[in-house]
Amino acid sequence: MIRNRALSPSARKLLTLMAEAGETWSHGYELCRQAGIKSGTLYPLLIRLEAQGYLEAEWHPPTGPGRPPRHAYRLTVTGKQLAREVAAPQLQARPSTLSGQSA
Amino acid sequence: MIPANRNQVAMAIARLSTRILPHAMRQWGFAIQNEVEAIERADRATMFALGCLGFALHQAVIFHVLRPLQLMAGSGVHAGQEAQLMNMRNDLLQHPKRMATLCAITATGLGLVYMNVAGAPTAYLAMNLSALVIGFLLAGILALCARSARLSAGAISVTLAILLLLTSLFGTTASGATRWIALGGLSVQPSLLILPIMAICFAHSRDMPSTVGVAIASLAVAMQPDRGMSGALAAGMLVLALLRPERNVMIAAGAAISGFVASMLQADVQPAMPYVDQILYSSFDVHPLAGMAVFAGAALMIMPSIIGGLYDIERLETYAVFGIVWLAVIVAAALGNYPTPLVGYGGSAIIGYVVSLLGLPQRTNSKALDRQEVDTSVGEPEQHDLRMGFA
Repeated sequence: MIRNRALSPSARKLLTLMAEAGETWSHGYELCRQAGIKSGTLYPLLIRLEAQGYLEAEWHPPTGPGRPPRHAYRLTVTGKQLAREVAAPQLQARPSTLSGQSA
Repeated sequence: MIPANRNQVAMAIARLSTRILPHAMRQWGFAIQNEVEAIERADRATMFALGCLGFALHQAVIFHVLRPLQLMAGSGVHAGQEAQLMNMRNDLLQHPKRMATLCAITATGLGLVYMNVAGAPTAYLAMNLSALVIGFLLAGILALCARSARLSAGAISVTLAILLLLTSLFGTTASGATRWIALGGLSVQPSLLILPIMAICFAHSRDMPSTVGVAIASLAVAMQPDRGMSGALAAGMLVLALLRPERNVMIAAGAAISGFVASMLQADVQPAMPYVDQILYSSFDVHPLAGMAVFAGAALMIMPSIIGGLYDIERLETYAVFGIVWLAVIVAAALGNYPTPLVGYGGSAIIGYVVSLLGLPQRTNSKALDRQEVDTSVGEPEQHDLRMGFA
């Protein structure tokens, strides 16, 4: 289970990115590019997140002629909660750094 | 609009990934395919698809190799996994080629265990492992060639038989037998590569050119002489003649039995090679674990034919020929100084076994197994449903 294991840097990046996207649906390729992770890393993460209820996936119809329908993803409420938990330690770490800079 | 042929390579890789992925993940395969199709630049689409192929291969190894082994060992199985494991078992039973692939990998692995315990040189282990990889590559290439060139089974059979005959005429001779060819410093035994697949193909394509191919091959192994392989071919044809007593099968069986008798009448005295010959007897002397590995590996080689015959009675002759040919090779290794396939040192038998898997059906016709399918994909729409959703 994703909660029982330490999250990988890729999983953290993905969660953060998807949390920032909010209610907007994202596609596999753009997630890869934005998170800077390989497709071979992305899909196992998406599959795990979806299986554990952190992510919802749905098919979107083609946006134009010759375009394929695409599988799109966004975080569920629990997924956003997980993303906040993931982000919390980073946020806790940031003030000290910032205070160090301002000092 | 995306031009049709732009991402053809990437799309081919994505489709391959979808095929490789376990059934329960198939919808993700379609997601990958459509994502690849949507990427504008061909190079980026290809890189994306290659990454997905790596993921699909990883999942396939987990699903088809590691979990069945875990199931066989009976370890790490929780109550919640039972339905999934049942589906996995049914999946293997429904896909004879897949099951035989698993058997080939496991038997070769058990052979490595034997050789390691017996103190064989590391190069021998590496050689068998390389042969396994080469076998799968060769099988893939042959499958693609046969599909794209639309070659008939008869044409393939005659071509292979002529190659075998050329080996008998111009191959490497050792202790009076001419049954090897030298390839880059390695000694390859073409009969181990050619005869099993030829016999299995003949089981489901019993036309006249294929019959001629079997007859030429029988002559070739009798000339070498090779009692082991001529016996294996004769055993395979004899079983086929019992199951399908047709004119061409009778001709092929007659030729194969004549070839076997001819090879038995000639001297065939090869010295026993360590880690190659006589290991069925000597393995238990090395260590009980080594002996068990050798016998389990040999049993695994025959297992696909037994299970296939039980669950797919309509194609009994294919499984019977596959099983009898390889059983005869094992028996020959037990009776004389012939290589013990897969579990002993020798790349030819490993490659030959993997290539012979091409002759097995991709999927059984078993209705019983279809009914046993346990639904573990609750909430995951089938591909049919997904397509319906697009309309």
